[in-house]
Amino acid sequence: MKLEIVCVGVGGRGVLLASTILMETAIEAGYKAIASDEYGMSQRGGSVVSLIKIGDFASPLIGRENGDIILAFEESEFYKTLFYLKNGGTAIINTEKKSMPESVQRLLKKRNIRYFLIDADGIAAEKKMIQSANMAILGFFSALSCGPYTPDNIEKMITKKVPAKFLDKNRQVFQEGIEAGNRKL
Amino acid sequence: MSIKQQVMIGNFAIARGLVEAGIELAAAYPGTPSSEILPGIVEFKRMEKKNIHTEWSTNEKCALEVAFGAASMGKKSACFMKQVGLNVAFAPLLKVLEKPIDGGLVIVSCDDPGPQSSQTEQDTRLLASLFNIPVFDPASPQEAADIAFYALNYSFEHKKPVIIRSTHRVSHAREAIPLYPPGTRKVTLNEGISLHDVEDFKLSTIRYPLSAKLGVVASGMSYSLVYDVIQDLDVEQYVTIFKVLRVFPVEKSLIDFVEKMEKILVLEEPDQVVEALLGQGDKILGRANGYVPGEGEITYDIVRGIVGRIMTELGIGNKEFSPDQSIEEVIKELKIQPRPPKLCAGCPHRASFFAMKYAFPEAIFPGDIGCYTLGTAQGAVDTFLDMGSGVTFAEGFYDAFNQDGKLIPILASIGDSTFLHACLPPLYDAAEKEKKFVLVIMDNGTTAMTGMQPTPQTGVTVDGISTHSVKIEEIVKGFGISFVKIIDPYDVPLMIGTIKEAFEYLKQEKSKPAVIIARRACILLSKGGLKDALDSIDIEKDCTGCKSCVKSFDCPALPFNEETKKVKIDDGLCVKCGVCLYACPAQEKGKALKAGDWLLHRQLNT
Repeated sequence: MKLEIVCVGVGGRGVLLASTILMETAIEAGYKAIASDEYGMSQRGGSVVSLIKIGDFASPLIGRENGDIILAFEESEFYKTLFYLKNGGTAIINTEKKSMPESVQRLLKKRNIRYFLIDADGIAAEKKMIQSANMAILGFFSALSCGPYTPDNIEKMITKKVPAKFLDKNRQVFQEGIEAGNRKL
Repeated sequence: MSIKQQVMIGNFAIARGLVEAGIELAAAYPGTPSSEILPGIVEFKRMEKKNIHTEWSTNEKCALEVAFGAASMGKKSACFMKQVGLNVAFAPLLKVLEKPIDGGLVIVSCDDPGPQSSQTEQDTRLLASLFNIPVFDPASPQEAADIAFYALNYSFEHKKPVIIRSTHRVSHAREAIPLYPPGTRKVTLNEGISLHDVEDFKLSTIRYPLSAKLGVVASGMSYSLVYDVIQDLDVEQYVTIFKVLRVFPVEKSLIDFVEKMEKILVLEEPDQVVEALLGQGDKILGRANGYVPGEGEITYDIVRGIVGRIMTELGIGNKEFSPDQSIEEVIKELKIQPRPPKLCAGCPHRASFFAMKYAFPEAIFPGDIGCYTLGTAQGAVDTFLDMGSGVTFAEGFYDAFNQDGKLIPILASIGDSTFLHACLPPLYDAAEKEKKFVLVIMDNGTTAMTGMQPTPQTGVTVDGISTHSVKIEEIVKGFGISFVKIIDPYDVPLMIGTIKEAFEYLKQEKSKPAVIIARRACILLSKGGLKDALDSIDIEKDCTGCKSCVKSFDCPALPFNEETKKVKIDDGLCVKCGVCLYACPAQEKGKALKAGDWLLHRQLNT
């Protein structure tokens, strides 16, 4: 199996933690994996792009229109990185909006891209864990059960990677994400 | 026995390899993308219970000389720095091959193709080849771990210093690295021809028939990219790769390989080194004849474009990737907020820059290298040449105007780590020669940009042990500078007043540089300490949409909403420091009374 995943968002909002969880979930399941992160010069609030390649790859970089999946933790970062997504790819986008702009809808349809909108910030805010929107997206993604990314596998890695004092709330947000995913599928 | 593995970045992998090879001393000065190697040594020395001396040196020259000295006395030593840091250590680098060492010496220098977080691209391999120091160019974190292990042992056995050149893609990529018990790692050097049906690399070109039309000579991350690209384009049968790991002297087998192939593509970063060593024959495709871009990082798309183009030229057929332009057409119609690098929300530097620009909008602002280089966005940093130039440029600017009989406000800024790294000789010079400028030392108690390493005045070692702490103000006073003020930059009115007072002082005849130490912990260290009453202010109601704060304050948590024509606080990023209220002209005019009340409230309570 080969899988190229792009995680995008803004700094300080858990993009890198989510990407770490995805990478190590794959390794735990016996796959080879390599990842590369771009976070520029700013510590918080700047664009963050994390690329993960699962399978027989040597380099951690993803080519234009080669990515299988984009997990967008912020809507405008999705537009900026849409060029990564291959024809027939999948996108999950964190937004409070109910639909994408029409031009984007047409583009995604033309490119056979399956996409899902999820109000991850809203889900996280309900649990009073605004910083944990990343868990809602991971939950939603796990509902697709793509390769090694089953809800069980991802949750196991969350348990390993999230500090104990935040774990309970994070798992709750993750569960909400799964349910949101199941409702849309 | 099963070997455990751990996912880590390339820099930790280098540290792992060195610890397994028995390193005894490691010294470094932080600089992206090299900063995590030394903390990696600390982590693994604890894990393996090894006695390894580790230190953050005050600059790269100190780091290299300490490691060199220990190597001369028989220790296995290493030092780590970024590519422009190697310039600071240039003097001892010139000499490492001349002086005998009894131990081992590995110099790790991390290049920054792009550049992503440096003033300039620079190729460590060029310096190494200039001085004939063997240099390894690993292609992945896994290889970096192996090479670190191999290089330290090689250096120890041959009594010769060795350079490991990494790039940010190798240093910061993440991979699962096997953790061998110290001393047991088995390393095969992966160099030469890689055939997809053969596990090992072979230096000999004779053992395998070469039917391919294109030979690719690639080193470092470029090798990993071209390996993926030829599978992606499905052209494996037409391309043979020769992987270069030791950049020079050029292997005889590489010369043979180049001779046998019809065309040779050379891929390397960031400069021409292997290409220059191979000469400029017609068959070589590289930077010299424009096949490879002359600057910037070599990305996946660039490699895919080059290989596709050559396949067409060789008559193999159309393997070229054609991008779907409609993506850009649609996206450019959307109004997407650009996200240039910004200081963090709540960063004390932002408050200092706001005060500096407010006090003297027309001043000259010599800046320096660190997070605070980003003060350019607030118009409070005009120059940033290298570390220390915040002071030396201020001196030169002062001299230039002074010669013509003018005194103008020059407001220089440097950081606390930079102060000790490169600003002591210049500041002493400036004091001795009575040069008149204001120097704001932004003391946030850490080396923030490179990942929160401690500084000398923190008084904490890389091992986390509390030790001797240096007071910046005592050093400054020791130079004979009398105008020294220590201010919390969040107190913006006091900062503005003090900067004006400093310029008044400079008008006196015998005055020396005026130093303001803006002291407040980096917001990343003081996270959570500011939760306060900012919630009670209805920013969106009070905002008049003048965008003044967007320009003068440049806070990532204060985006302007083009639909409502007002700023909207981003709750996920805002740390409620409240300093932005000073940047609101409405507040000045007494319109935002609630804001003023809140600031008063905070001043009374902190």
